[in-house]
Formats: sequence, C-alpha cells, structure tokens
Amino acid sequence: MSFGDPGRDGAARTTARDGFSHGAVWSAAVWRKTWGDQRLLVLALAALWAAFPWLYLWLSAQIAMPAFQNVLLQVIPEDWQKLSGVPFSEVATYAGRVALAFVDPVVVLTATVWGITRGSDAVSGQLERGTMEMVLAAPIRRTAVFATQALATTAAAALLVVVLLASVWSAVALGPWAGKVEPWRFVPAAANVFGLMVCMGGIAACVSAVDSHRWRTVGIMCGFYVAAILAKLVGRLSGMLGWVGYLSVLNAYEPQRLVGGGPEAWRLLAWYDGVLLGIGLAAYVVGAVIFSRRDLPAPL
Amino acid sequence: MIVRTTELTKRYGGFCALDGCSLDVRAGEIFGLLGPNGAGKTTLLRLLLGYLAPTSGTATVAGFDCATESLEVRGRTAYLPGEARLFRRMDGHAVIAFFADLRRECRRDGAVRVADRLGLDCSRQVARMSTGMRQKLALAVVLATEVPLVILDEPTANLDPTARSAVLDLVREARAAGRTVIFSSHVLSEVEETCDRVAILRGGRVVHGQSIEELRRGHRIYAQLADAFPGVPAEFAGRLTATAVADGRIVMETDEPLAPLLGWLATLALAEIRVEPVGLQAVYDRFHPPAARSA
Repeated sequence: MSFGDPGRDGAARTTARDGFSHGAVWSAAVWRKTWGDQRLLVLALAALWAAFPWLYLWLSAQIAMPAFQNVLLQVIPEDWQKLSGVPFSEVATYAGRVALAFVDPVVVLTATVWGITRGSDAVSGQLERGTMEMVLAAPIRRTAVFATQALATTAAAALLVVVLLASVWSAVALGPWAGKVEPWRFVPAAANVFGLMVCMGGIAACVSAVDSHRWRTVGIMCGFYVAAILAKLVGRLSGMLGWVGYLSVLNAYEPQRLVGGGPEAWRLLAWYDGVLLGIGLAAYVVGAVIFSRRDLPAPL
Repeated sequence: MIVRTTELTKRYGGFCALDGCSLDVRAGEIFGLLGPNGAGKTTLLRLLLGYLAPTSGTATVAGFDCATESLEVRGRTAYLPGEARLFRRMDGHAVIAFFADLRRECRRDGAVRVADRLGLDCSRQVARMSTGMRQKLALAVVLATEVPLVILDEPTANLDPTARSAVLDLVREARAAGRTVIFSSHVLSEVEETCDRVAILRGGRVVHGQSIEELRRGHRIYAQLADAFPGVPAEFAGRLTATAVADGRIVMETDEPLAPLLGWLATLALAEIRVEPVGLQAVYDRFHPPAARSA
C-alpha cells in the first residue's frame, strides 16, 4: 500500500468493500461485540425467565381457586382494586392469576434492570472504561455504533421475551392449570414486557449518551424508575392528582389488563406498546443525535 | 502537509486547553509533540480525530476538515490513546480480530506479527494482561493499520526497555514505508532519537518548533578564560550567544556548524573548555525550567 498520496486530491476516498463501508449506519463488528458483552446477562435472564413461570404457577396452584377468590373478593378492601389496575373479579380467574406473573417483581424488575444495564453501557459505560476511544478512531459513524448497539440490545430483549412467553405458554398448557386457560391469551402481555424493555433501554441509552460515568447514568435511571412508580401510584390512588399517572411511562405497562383475550386486548396492547416503543425509539434517536454531536472527554 | 492546524483553540468554559495552535506536519515525517501534563497535547490529538469540536480555528488531515469530515480523517488515521484500554473479556486474538473486522485497513496478520515482535502472548485474556501487555496489544492493532497517518499518544509508556526499543524501530519502519507519525511523549531521549521535528507546548500554546537536524547542530560551549572575554566577533553575531557567568567562566550557545567557531575559540586565552550538544532536554528546559516543573 502506498501512503504517498493520501489526501483529498489523491481521491483516495474509502469505498465499501467486503462488508466494510466507512460511514455505514451499521457495523457487523460492533454487533458481534455487543452480543458478546450481553451474552452472560442474556443467558442469566433467559434461565430466570424460563424457570419463573413454572415456579410461579406451581406456587399459585398451591392455593385453591375458591380460597384465593375468597381472600381477594371478601378480605381485601375494595378500594385496593385501584392498585391492581383491573377489577379483582378479573384477577380472581385462572387467566388473571397467571397474568400476575407479568407484574411480579421478578419480571418487572429484571426487565427494567435489563434496560438500564444495557442502555447505560451504550456510551457512558464505554467512555468510563475507555474502550470507546479506539473504536471511534476507526472510520465509523458514532450513530452507527449507537444504532448497532441499540439493535443488538432490542434483538436480545425480543429473544428474552420469546423465552418468557414460551415458558408461560408451556407452563399454562402443561402445568397444574392445564386446560383451564388458553395459553395464547398471554401473547399481548409478553409483548408489553418487550415494550417496557425497549422503553427503559432507550431512555437509559439517551441518558448514557449525555453522560460520561456509568454509575451516574444508572443512578439517574433508578431515580427515574422510582419516580415513575410513585407517579403511577399517585395517579391511581388520588382522584384529584389522577393526571400525575399519565406522567409515568409505567402507566403503559399493564400486562394484567391484556389477558382478557379478544380484540380489546390487542387494541390496548397497540396503545400501551405504541407509547412504550414510541418513547423508547424517540429516546434512542435523541441519544444518537446527542452522541454524534458531543465532545468525547479522555477517560479518567 | 498531511496535518495542518490554524489557530486551533479549545476552551472549556473559562479554561483554555488549547490556545491558537498553528502547526504543520509534513507527509512522511515523525513529528514529536512535547510538553508536560496539561500542556494540550492530548487535546490537540483529540481535536484531530474529531473527538472534540474546536472552539475556534481549523485542523485538517490530508486536506479533510477534522471537525466536519471526521470520517474521512479517521479513514486515513490510526490512533493509539494515551492509556489504551481494550475489551477485558476478550483475549488478544479476539481484540485483533475485532479491529480487523471493524476497519479494513487493520491487517490481522500484520497485528499478529507486531505482537510477536513485541513479545506479546495474544492468547491471554485482556483482563489478565498487565498494563504493558495491554499497551503492546493496542500498539499491534494501531501499527498494523495501513493508513497514511499514525498518531501515538505516549506509545512507550508502561513498556519495558526491550519493547520500548522495538516500538521505536516500528515507528521508524512506518516512516520508511511512507507513513507519517505524530508521536507524543514525555521521554525526551526517545523523541530526539526518533523524530524528525518537534513542537513544544506550554499552557495550550505551541511555544517552540524545531527540526531534530537543527537541534543536532546546536552546541553549548563552557569556557574558563584566563583573560577578559573579548566579546563575540562580528562575523558570528546573531549566530552565537555568550553569557558570562562569573570568574571568567563563559557559556556560549550556537545552532550553527561548529567548525568555523573553533578557529576563533583557539585564539582565546582558554584555561578550560567543554563542548556539548545542546540536546532536546536543554531546549525543553528553556520553556519548562526544572524549577518551574518542580514548583
């Protein structure tokens, strides 16, 4: 290779070849690296989400339906229905009881942790570790690095949700309540989990794009999540401050309302996931723009 | 010129990290950047790579603007950061494969060859490598990237003497292959040994630029005179500076060839004489005096 005439006048502009394309919006190398980075987390969550529905249904089946209905409909004050988001009469069904698995902390927190963990690594994590330096020394757009990571994270989220759905499906079809409820009813609820993962991942990636310290990004996202929970609770419990609930992204995470079956469940899902995926996508776009324009400080 | 900066400035609020930096780097030379920590060397390099947007001024690499055509610039540049940090979960071979996949200019076989020359075991996981080993791995990736401009920010930091010497050889080989190298370092001896030209930065400004060839012509003459110093003859005026120290001791400095001076020196009533090359250290000390450094 000759280095004698390397410049603008030498017309040595780079061109796409063998999958390399300077300025492309995608990088196969970054895609593979991101999968390598998230491999252990994906495996751990897949194992958890594969096992959890079986365990949850087995534990739930230890309480007979009449006893469960008695506690829910007779003992718990009716006002507490506000917290569940659906009437207790709907919860006190087989489908309603399975649906509670989707609002169990094991699912909600791990979905949120997934989003925060992967999103926070997008920029601030790699800036803090110093590994972004040599990657961006290559002729690759910052937006390509960001978008490729976002796609790998989203693809992994989809994979995890498929594992969760497959586990719920098999547990419902083959577990203690086999034949008592149709497994396909839980497809919209699983899709809602996917919406939550994309939303949290996008917001975390956006914060990460502004930040240079991962711990701070994680802290901000934890604060955001707690605020979202509080806003949702305030919106649910207070008539006067009902509007506050609409400020929370978690207001669009209602898998327990999506197990009724029929077109209503899909209509609600379109609305909820429209909000969650829309916010997630918008956050990714804003994050990409910020990342492409910001100064990159030297790692400390 | 492969690199040209014009009044390049970077401010962070009230702090000026680089202040009106203008310099040219010629194609095919090894250009040394010197200065203490905080002098602006790394800021300058990061501006060249488009990591930072300049507050004012311009920088170009191969005619492409570093701020607006960064992709074109980076397509012609390989960069070794001051403290190269690589992916801890990968082993050396995987790191090399990653960068070879990331950009076509990075040659996997070339990187393995460089790693071998530096005595690096690429089968080891990065997390289990010492700082020096990680530096060698990063150097292997950077030096195996076939681009016209190589930017090395303190490439020999953390290296043992053998590897240090191998790196300097590799830098010279890069120049022999027609590549340009910008070389930032705190080790003046290796800069003097390797570079063709140097620039010294202080407080974000370029305060001195000189070719090493010019530097090698420079000498300092310490003389003890038995008689009074007659002064510098008119024929050497402007080319020789003389400073009387005390008790007939004179220190003279010149950047010109020494031979014409020797005849005149022989006419002086010399009790003692010592001639030394000025060296980069002495030039550096003019702008960063040892007292100021230790203060």
